[in-house]
Amino acid sequence: MKMTSKSMAAVILVILFGGIAVTTALGWWATETTKEPARFSEGEAAGEYNPLDIRGSYTFGDISRLFEIPIEDLAQAFQVPQGVDPASFQVKNLEDQFAAYAGDLGTSSVRLFTAFYTGLPYDLTLEEVYLPDSAAAVLLAKAPLNEEQKAYLAAHTVITSEVSTPPAAETVAASTPAPAATETHTVEEGKVAGKTTFQDLLDWGVPKEVIEQIMGGMPPTTSTLVKDYCTLKGLSFSEIKLLLQAEVDKALKK
Amino acid sequence: MVKSWLQKFTRRKIWIRRLIQAFFFVLIALIAVNHTLAESGGGLPLLSSASLHALCPFGGVVTIYQYATTGTFVQKIHESSFILMILGLLLAVLFGPVFCGWVCPFGTFQEWLAGIGRKLFGKRRFNRLIPEKVDRVLRYARYLVLAWVLYMTAASATLIFAEYDPYFALFNFWSDEVAVGGLIVLGVVIAASLVIERPWCKYACPYGAVLGITNLFRVFQLRRREATCKLDGACDIHCPMNIKVSEKKVIRDHQCISCMECTSEARCPAAATVEFVAGGR
Ligand code: SF4
Repeated sequence: MKMTSKSMAAVILVILFGGIAVTTALGWWATETTKEPARFSEGEAAGEYNPLDIRGSYTFGDISRLFEIPIEDLAQAFQVPQGVDPASFQVKNLEDQFAAYAGDLGTSSVRLFTAFYTGLPYDLTLEEVYLPDSAAAVLLAKAPLNEEQKAYLAAHTVITSEVSTPPAAETVAASTPAPAATETHTVEEGKVAGKTTFQDLLDWGVPKEVIEQIMGGMPPTTSTLVKDYCTLKGLSFSEIKLLLQAEVDKALKK
Repeated sequence: MVKSWLQKFTRRKIWIRRLIQAFFFVLIALIAVNHTLAESGGGLPLLSSASLHALCPFGGVVTIYQYATTGTFVQKIHESSFILMILGLLLAVLFGPVFCGWVCPFGTFQEWLAGIGRKLFGKRRFNRLIPEKVDRVLRYARYLVLAWVLYMTAASATLIFAEYDPYFALFNFWSDEVAVGGLIVLGVVIAASLVIERPWCKYACPYGAVLGITNLFRVFQLRRREATCKLDGACDIHCPMNIKVSEKKVIRDHQCISCMECTSEARCPAAATVEFVAGGR
């Protein structure tokens, strides 16, 4: 049997477009995710959606619906900009939003957040995943975290408010008298960041004893930056920050 | 003027291949533009606005491992890639890599650039600039690329090839989805296409590597009848993949793209000598 160029052209078109038509009719042809993640097939969570299958095309609205996470928590955790509807905010937009963090924050962060928030299984050895500090704070306040997860969070939190601060400035800030820092002091209400002072914490309703317990003491002046005090005492600001944020959230809710 | 161009175009015996190639090129370009428009809330009705990743059969190949082990697709890959992979494979088992020779818009793009290359270097020198010995070894490099892509995709569960894919870069150079690596590879391929015909297909394309294997056992085979062959070398000169058709009875070369340019229907001057046939003649 001989094949001519015209019959070849016909066969190619019939197989390709016919194949697409048949699979479309059967409901198999899909060029987008069905927004229906794979489910766990075994273990305690068998039958539940697997956060690992969250795609960049999902919106926070999808995740909220599929994993029953309040949309406000997702918006707060991932700092959805004011004026943007979190329900239609696509996960893949995070890479642009957090572009300054060299690809550390993105779809994987949302997968991890979802797993921690819902208590669904997540293999922490798969890859190093980072979360913005805002997401870690939401988790510490609302999620059923175990010790291992808390430790993971402490080591995998990116402080999003401070990325533009060059390392040299940190050393200078540590040796600068605290009042100088308060002159340019602008703090977002209830958000522990590099510019938060001890006075802010007290103003937000965190008891002095709780602060002392977390930080192992208090500086003589409450206008000292928490971050500077951490540097002086050799404490990890990223860890302390999470603990303090959880207390602030608790106090503000009261 | 249109009439004379049309006459010139249809005088080429395999003109229908050029037509099919142009059709798929335009279709994919329109879908790529529509995808960008749809992302910003617009888009043309009745035309797919799928991401090109969803319409690439190679996406199906790279996700096989993950699909078999976890039941999920590699990110950005969907059922459509899997289906196209199966359809492409079905065509290949029947006729060899017709997908490369007739459908793939990136192959078409390189062929169009070859037209400029032929004008620049002359028909005799174009596509014959790389020493044969070097060329012969380089032809296997695409299997290294294939092995690397499969391994990296399985290990990372991400569409690692998208970072370097010149085809995706060509149809998305205006969007922020394109990777710098892809644009660099695209630049290199464009430059190389002016000297060599289909350099990406010959030396680097991992999907061509997969489909090329089917040339060893395709149902329809490319055969040369020795009894009527004039041994004038027309087939060798016009083969875009530099295959020595005149030295073989059956073309099983893994690089053949089933373009049919060497057949008696096209460049071979002897009737019923080089043909695509199944079973006996
Ligand atoms: S051998 Fe013939 S069909 Fe194969 S690539 Fe060369 S010209 Fe095309």
